[in-house]
Amino acid sequence: MRKLIIIKYGELTTKKGNINLFINTLSKNIKAYLNEYSYEEKHDAGRMFIIPEDNDYDEILDILKHVFGLHEINLGYETKTKDLDSLGNEILELLKDKDFATFKVQTKRSDKTYPINSMDISRKMGGIILKNIPNLKVDVNNPEIIVNIEIRKDFSYFYFDVIDGLGGYPVGVAGKGLLMLSGGIDSPVAGYMAIKRGVKLEAVYFESPPHTSDQAKDKVLKLAKKLALYNNTYLKVHVINFTPIQEAILKNIPHEYLITIMRRMMYRISKRIALMENCKILVNGESIGQVASQTLNSMSVINHVVDIPVIRPVACLDKLEIIDIAKKIDTYETSILPFIDCCTIFVPDHPVINPELSKCEEYETLIPYEDMIKDAIKNKEVIKVELKEQNNHSDLL
Amino acid sequence: MIYLDYAATTPVNDEVMASYIKVTKEYIGNTHSIHKLGVESKKLYDDATKQIADLFNVMENEIIYTSGATEANNMAIIGTCIANHKRGNHIIVSMLEHPSVYKMCDYLETLGFKVSYVKNLDNGMIDMNDLKSLITDETILVSICAVNSEVGVRQSLKSIRQVIKKENMNTLLHSDMTQAIGKYTINIHDVDLATMSSHKIYGPKGIGLLYRNSKVNVAPIIHGSTKYNEIRPGTVPLPLVVAFSKALRIALTDVEKRESFVKKLNERIINHFSKDETILVNNTVYSIPYIINISLSNVKSETMVHALEQHDIYVSTSTACSSSELSASVMAIYKDKKRAMSTLRISLSYLTSSEDVTNFLKVFDEEYEKLKAIN
Repeated sequence: MRKLIIIKYGELTTKKGNINLFINTLSKNIKAYLNEYSYEEKHDAGRMFIIPEDNDYDEILDILKHVFGLHEINLGYETKTKDLDSLGNEILELLKDKDFATFKVQTKRSDKTYPINSMDISRKMGGIILKNIPNLKVDVNNPEIIVNIEIRKDFSYFYFDVIDGLGGYPVGVAGKGLLMLSGGIDSPVAGYMAIKRGVKLEAVYFESPPHTSDQAKDKVLKLAKKLALYNNTYLKVHVINFTPIQEAILKNIPHEYLITIMRRMMYRISKRIALMENCKILVNGESIGQVASQTLNSMSVINHVVDIPVIRPVACLDKLEIIDIAKKIDTYETSILPFIDCCTIFVPDHPVINPELSKCEEYETLIPYEDMIKDAIKNKEVIKVELKEQNNHSDLL
Repeated sequence: MIYLDYAATTPVNDEVMASYIKVTKEYIGNTHSIHKLGVESKKLYDDATKQIADLFNVMENEIIYTSGATEANNMAIIGTCIANHKRGNHIIVSMLEHPSVYKMCDYLETLGFKVSYVKNLDNGMIDMNDLKSLITDETILVSICAVNSEVGVRQSLKSIRQVIKKENMNTLLHSDMTQAIGKYTINIHDVDLATMSSHKIYGPKGIGLLYRNSKVNVAPIIHGSTKYNEIRPGTVPLPLVVAFSKALRIALTDVEKRESFVKKLNERIINHFSKDETILVNNTVYSIPYIINISLSNVKSETMVHALEQHDIYVSTSTACSSSELSASVMAIYKDKKRAMSTLRISLSYLTSSEDVTNFLKVFDEEYEKLKAIN
């Protein structure tokens, strides 16, 4: 009998044609997350098994809770025997130390040549347990312990506790996307939701020194680190110095159109980075009606400058729903730190709610934005934010 | 020099000192400044604090830096009473605390709080039955040191916690862990509040900390706070914080190896003293090996300290903070005034060598004989 971690894929198993791509990606992703651990990986019809070489099951379980594409993660026991009596003995051995009064047995038999069917296995095993541990009752509706047994071709295994995985798709199976990451509450949540559907993210962040500070940038990098936890252990952040463009807009464009034009410039830059980095989509945290630049009219006019899909995962969520997710993924506390960012400096008193495309296009002729965008992209800083970040101060500490 | 007063204070570790100097020279920014220098200092501060939080498996916001253990104890005892006065007006302390704790209790009494002193058994352990009987609905806080500074008795904080929480779920447990850190493995989650000091673990003097479980309310005892430091205002002493963090990291490595080494030294010294009928060993079975406490007959312990000092050997009478008075801890355990009047504390370190012990015992015997002859 040996202890092992049993992984169930959930939604993946419905993707018949692509199942191997999904499982290979998942396997590669798990490798990235567990790169500090030694373990053996095994596959068998719809299940993946991880057998750590050292006794670090708990740590590994903790890490796997942050990996998308896992439906269930169970700590179980594998045994070569398929004989019910010896299997029963092994199960009894482990149940002995558990404190419970009611239980049920649930069996799956992927080895259809096995002579007893699942129902009968459960019934027989229930009998063995009842006979050997006094004062127990079977409760099929609300048991304190569920003994899960799976009979496979070459082995069988069993487990008691079920840990829910994150669900979603393995990061990367959907391709890459570029997240427009600000320091706010919405964009990290949007990023998380895109990652959940298998989109491997990179991010773009616009800074405007000296109008914005290093503190604001650090805050964004902190958020990036929180996302790295889900994004296969790292997030590449493209930092754009937006100052020249932003100042030119401020100087030349009627103030009610400041935000609209600014957003259009950001979209243009983002699209170009996306193409350079082989990202198929832009992802951002826009939510319908939340601010002037997020009315349907604004979105339409702003979106007009790009011809790749812009995914807005939180577009239809209420602010409170977004905050709930932000708290769940631990970005909320960082997001509410009070540092001014690019979108909050130079906010006009009365931004236009229904901008007109023709006006935008007319105003934009007032600034040489093509050259400025090229410069901004040429001078961008790329920061790879890693989950296991090297502590820069390790010499001092 | 043979230094055997490590329970009073410790020399600063060289690596810790190097960090202190480097940070002083290179990180001049105020952690609250918004410019780059400030941001760099703040990052270092955050990393140092995270390291401490990780060492004890707590959250960063549960670490509050203070000027040292005395301030941390003030914050834990007075600050908790003030913040929670609506829940009750009663606290309990042991009779084995640092003398400063009793001054805090006196002050609390002037504010209308009631203080009970829990008894200990003959072996120095807290009398759990007495503790149980003292806890009422009004009890806000129990404060019991993890290791007594004079006799080195180590309490079982886990059992103490169980007793307290069974009687009153809301009663908080504070422990002064000054003498315990680095001496054995501590589970900080046994307590709600814990005091630590840098200079007892080979860090610089002038900094300590209070661990405060985030669910516990503590009122500031120094006023002037901002949003950055709600409980303890003042500019962050970054070099001290970094040095303390490093000292803690080093102190918490090889704890067991060091303990077993010191245990051997301890056994040699105690065996030696046990052979002399005029010397009473005050350690109990629950004393940690780092602290040895004896009572001398017919020789004033203060004289003995000075006699050894002539040979460049340093020990102390009871605690450094109450020299020349009677040892409250020895009194609390043995209820013998004479015994408590003549105590000598020898405190060891992993830095103490076997040779140091040999030389100390030799000089001690010579001087003790000489002084006994005079009296």
